[in-house]
Formats: sequence, C-alpha cells, structure tokens
Amino acid sequence: MLQINDVHAGYGSLKILRGINMQVPAGEIVTLLGGNGTGKSTLLKAVSGLLPLMEGEVLFDGVDISKMKPHRRMRLGLVQVTQAKEAYPAMTVEENLVLGAYTRRDRAGTLADLEWVYEFFPVLRERRKQLSGTLSGGEVQMLVIGRGLMAKPKMLMLDEPSAALAPKVVLEIFANINRIAKTGVTVLVVEQNVRMALILAQYGYIIRDGVIMIEGEAKKLISDPAVKDSFLGGSVANTSRALRN
Amino acid sequence: MGFDYNSLLAFIIFGVTIGVVYGIVALGISLIYSGLDIVHFAHGEMYMFGAFFGLVLAHNVGIPYPIALIGAMIMTAILGMVVERVFYRRLTRAGGGYTVAGMGMIICGFGMSVALVNVAYFIWGAEAEPFRANLDYIPRLTFPGDIKVPESYVLTAIISVALMAALHYFLRHTKTGLAVRAVAHNKDIAYLMGINVPLMISLIFGLACGLAAAAGVLIGPMQSVQVEMGYLMLMKAFAAAVVGGFGSLPGAIIGGIMVGVFENLGAAYISPSHKDIYAFLLLILVLMFKPSGLLGVEAKVKA
Repeated sequence: MLQINDVHAGYGSLKILRGINMQVPAGEIVTLLGGNGTGKSTLLKAVSGLLPLMEGEVLFDGVDISKMKPHRRMRLGLVQVTQAKEAYPAMTVEENLVLGAYTRRDRAGTLADLEWVYEFFPVLRERRKQLSGTLSGGEVQMLVIGRGLMAKPKMLMLDEPSAALAPKVVLEIFANINRIAKTGVTVLVVEQNVRMALILAQYGYIIRDGVIMIEGEAKKLISDPAVKDSFLGGSVANTSRALRN
Repeated sequence: MGFDYNSLLAFIIFGVTIGVVYGIVALGISLIYSGLDIVHFAHGEMYMFGAFFGLVLAHNVGIPYPIALIGAMIMTAILGMVVERVFYRRLTRAGGGYTVAGMGMIICGFGMSVALVNVAYFIWGAEAEPFRANLDYIPRLTFPGDIKVPESYVLTAIISVALMAALHYFLRHTKTGLAVRAVAHNKDIAYLMGINVPLMISLIFGLACGLAAAAGVLIGPMQSVQVEMGYLMLMKAFAAAVVGGFGSLPGAIIGGIMVGVFENLGAAYISPSHKDIYAFLLLILVLMFKPSGLLGVEAKVKA
C-alpha cells in the first residue's frame, strides 16, 4: 500500500534521511523503530508531505505522491495521527473529532463514524464538550487516534502513540490499534517502545542515523540478538499475554 | 455650573460608535496576527482603499450605500488576498513559514503601506473627498436627555455589530471556521487534517481586509475620505488590539470601544486639539497594569 523508495530528506542543508526503503503492505501493521534523533519523525513528515523530499519517491496505492501537498495526500486516505500533544487544546473533544472529518462530504457517514469512535473510546463521549487541553495523556492519545479515524483512512500512520504514557495505558492504546487494524486499516506505527511495537506489528524496520539498519518479521526481530542488544529489555512474554487479554 | 450628565452620555454614545469601528479594524489585525503570526502594518491602507472603493461605488457608479459597502468589502478583500499571495507569501518560503518570517515581514508590511498610499495618490489625488451617503431611510435615534444620534452613527453601530456577530458565527459554528481556527493554531497539523492551508491563509487575509474596508465605508460619511487616513486608523486600531489583548478577537472589540470612549471623553473634558493622543494614553495605562492586555493570554501556546 505504501512504498518508500530511496528517500532522502532533511532541513535546509542538513540531510537526515539518507536513502530509506520501506514497504507497508495493505492490511498489515508495520512498525518503524528507533531512538530519539534517528529520523523517525522526519520520515513521517516526508511521507505525509510536511517536508519535501530531496531525492527518491513515495508511492501510495501505486500513485506517486512525492510532489503532492499534505492535504492532497491525506485526501487519498493516507492519514497521519499526530503526536498526542498536538491535539488542538483550545477546541473541544468533539470539535477535534469533527476536524478530523474535515475533508468528508457525507454528513450521515461522518455522524455514524463519530458514533463509532465514541464506541471505540467511550471516555471521549463522556468528555466530548470538554476542551481537549484538559484531558489526561492517555485520553489525548485516544483523541488523536479517533481524530485520525474520522477521516476514514485507508492507512493510519501513528507517531509514537506510547510516548509519555503509563505502561497500563500504553497497553490499552496498543490493543485499540490492533482493533483498528482488524477493521481493515493498514497501520504504520513509529515507536520507541520496541517490545510493544514488535508484539503488535507483523513486520518491523529499525532506523538509525537516517538509514534502515535492520528489517524483518516482527517475530524474528524480537528474538534477534542484534535488536535485543540495542533495544530490548524486560519480559516479552508478559506483555504479549497482557495484550491478548 | 452643574455637571451636565446629558452631554457626558452623548460623548459616551459617540465614543462607543466610533469605538466599534476601531474594533472592527482591530479585529482584522488580530485575526491576521493570531492566524498568521504577522503584525500587518499595511492594514490602515486596506481601510483607506475600502473607503475609496466605497466612495467610487456610491458616487461615481451610483449604487446604494449598503450595496456599495458590500462591494467595497469584496474588492478590498480581493486586494488583500492578492497582496498577501504575491508579496507576503514569498517571504515565508525563505523563512520557513509565517511563524518565523518575523522581521522581514514587518519591513515588508511597512513598505506595502507606503506603496499603497502612493498608488492611492496616483489614482485619487491628495484632496479629501466628502462622502455623502443618502441615509434618509435610517431613523434618527433620540436618547433620553434629547441626545440626537445622526443616521450615519446609527448605521455604523448596527452594521459593525452585525459584522462581528457574523464573524463570530463563522468562526465558531461553521466547518470552514473550524478550519480557520485550526490553521491559526498550528499549520502543520491543519495540513494533516486535510485542510487546504494556503487557501485558508488567503481567506483569513481576505476577511481581515474586508472588515477594514467596512470600517472605511462606515467612517466615510462621518469624516471625509483621503489618502492619508489609514495611518491614524492603524495606530488607533493597534492601540485597541493591544488594550484588548493582542490576538484576542473579543479583546479587539472591547479595546476598540474603550479607545473610542476614552478619546471622546478626553477631547470633551481635557482638550479637543489633542484628540489623537488619548488612545495612546489609554494604551500606556493599560500596559502598565496589565501588560498582556485586558483579555490577552500571557503567551500564545503552541503545540
């Protein structure tokens, strides 16, 4: 569904991505892992169009979107869920969700999806008249994911959904991402929480200094000593069991 | 001689009326500031052009005043959008967007102000032109104490309030208004919501310039229309915007009314020949006690 071919990008004369190749097949969950400052967010910006490419191309559904403005890419169904801190704090929860459906013209479908998002995240329904600046970290994360769903995406890209959240909340968020994927939405999760992300995803890429270091099936990456050395800690089995519950 | 409450009331009524006009110009300045993070120094010239467009439409073309008002708003909105698109937006490419274009944008605004004044000289000349509007169908209001309010003041108050209400409705209750607010807060996220950000920026500019034009056409029948009129209006609208809290839309209106009333009272009870100073006196007083303005927030919170 998403194909990234030899993408170079950066800010001004500073090149951050140096030839990224990635693929996200339709219906799968793929994760992109890496620490701070490795180029994860830059890649997301390059794919969503906020940052122009220096070289390479990005294909979505077989269409070359490399030169498209961000709002055009979004209208094709390629939706980026922003980081949680980037909800609009001065708007209510419901306004934020309606904004997610900004490009849609079908009123009935939009309202139905609003209901659907509220069923997905009941806490958002309780808080719908509240300003989103007053929500807790986990609630805001649910809000930005819900806002992404309101666009009726073919593919969702999530920017560190576990950032700054308590482990229990992370688990809940990831379980929800899994539910979303089951409805047929392709998912790309950018994460630092390697263990959780690899349990969730089918395929993983590990980025460092603007290049993909390791890639492979998520199951294999979890037990790959090279990955383990750089990232993993704690018990995979525990998290895995908890996710299924 | 006892204190004349009736004339005090009259000064306040006239102050409020002229103040709402300052308010709608300030509203445009605030709208551009909160939306695009630039302080638009050529906004007074948009007001001046609006007044001239209104004058041309009403006198030379001969269409009725209310329609000339709408026509002038549309023409000035287009002028503003063209100026923004052709000149200001070019600067944002080098600076990486409106937020950081900063100083260059301010200089560009000043330059645009001078350029527009000279274009206006070229077209309309230096003479002040009276704006005679046929307003006989507007009732004269008589307040208790036999204060008569001229038609043009009544009309000004009505139209200004209607414009403010329309803007409020647009921003709070329409989907496009929601998109404008989203762009004002953060352009990158707005893009990710699928909002056509460049189009919304044009819209914000057009709205702000249209409001300034309305002010120009409304002031026209009270004073006369001339090329240099923009400068003083810009200063007063700035004072109004800052008094109310820069970037706050309700603040702009409240600030405008305060400046209008303060100015009229100062002219009446202190000295009429220094009328234009009082706005700044008020500005200094407010900033001494509340530096962020009456309704301003300490700093704009960005994600």
